[in-house]
Amino acid sequence: MAKTILAVDDSASIRQMVTFTLKGAGYEVIEAVDGQDAFDKASHHQINLILTDINMPRMDGLKLLELLRKLAQYKNIPILILTTESSDEIKAKGRAAGATGWLVKPFDPKRLLEVIGKVIG
Amino acid sequence: MNYLIGKGNNRMTEILDDQIASNLYFDKSFNHQAVKLLPGEYYATDKDMLLVTVLGSCVAACIRDCYSGIGGMNHFMLPDGGADAGNPLNASARYGTYAMEILINQLLKLGARRCNLEAKVFGGGNVLDGLTVANVGQRNADFVLKFLQTEKIKVVAQDLVDIFPRKVYFFPRNNKVMVKKLRNTRNITISEREKDYSQRLRKVENGGEIELFS
Repeated sequence: MAKTILAVDDSASIRQMVTFTLKGAGYEVIEAVDGQDAFDKASHHQINLILTDINMPRMDGLKLLELLRKLAQYKNIPILILTTESSDEIKAKGRAAGATGWLVKPFDPKRLLEVIGKVIG
Repeated sequence: MNYLIGKGNNRMTEILDDQIASNLYFDKSFNHQAVKLLPGEYYATDKDMLLVTVLGSCVAACIRDCYSGIGGMNHFMLPDGGADAGNPLNASARYGTYAMEILINQLLKLGARRCNLEAKVFGGGNVLDGLTVANVGQRNADFVLKFLQTEKIKVVAQDLVDIFPRKVYFFPRNNKVMVKKLRNTRNITISEREKDYSQRLRKVENGGEIELFS
């Protein structure tokens, strides 16, 4: 059974590219347009991995990360950050909040799939 | 322990890190604090400033929140898609999307709202000789319009393609843009800057840094 990835980004262009990449590799993909949308969808679906942007309206990626890590079912689910942000300070915040990894845009599809394969097999 | 899966090569890191325009000056002609953007740069502001750039085959998107006046400009071209040009995930599309996203993110950080954004787009002239891709200006223009359509950001003005370089003056606070077509100028500097930028962009195909925490 295909594993399900929740792809979270406020940019429709990025969501299209990420979804195209992931579906091409056989994953099921659920898209969310911001942290709030992602949190709602995560509550209603069985998700195997979350790939989220940081800078988003309503709820940003770090807040989403914090909230999900408080839920028992998302305590150990891999959450990867895919963002334009690359400073050590914000990475440290992400790591402290429970991020599994950090990918700086622009993303390379092959390397994205390699990382996802590494963390969810 | 951090596991660094891959860091872009030094040249790419330089391309991706040094993008905020830093050439600030006071423009006496317009009596405004101003910033000049070079190829690959962007600038966003919530202040009453003038953003200036000179475009050959590159494009510039002037994006602003139509209520707050927070606005910014970028100046970019797509890297050569090469044999992968038809792939929606090719390096061109990914870099172009990135160039637009970093500007939009900066606007949102300053307080702009995505739903209030509107754009004016310029450039994409067929002025650059010697690149491996024909119609590079047209390709850049097509990309920026398609991106804005996908993102549902309204294009309220455009002056694209043609054969002349352009000088663009953008006042985000009051939404004024002035475009001067450089019809009589054989500006070697524009061409050389864009060629140099194009060469640097060949390094972006591997994407950004990846780090796994464990």
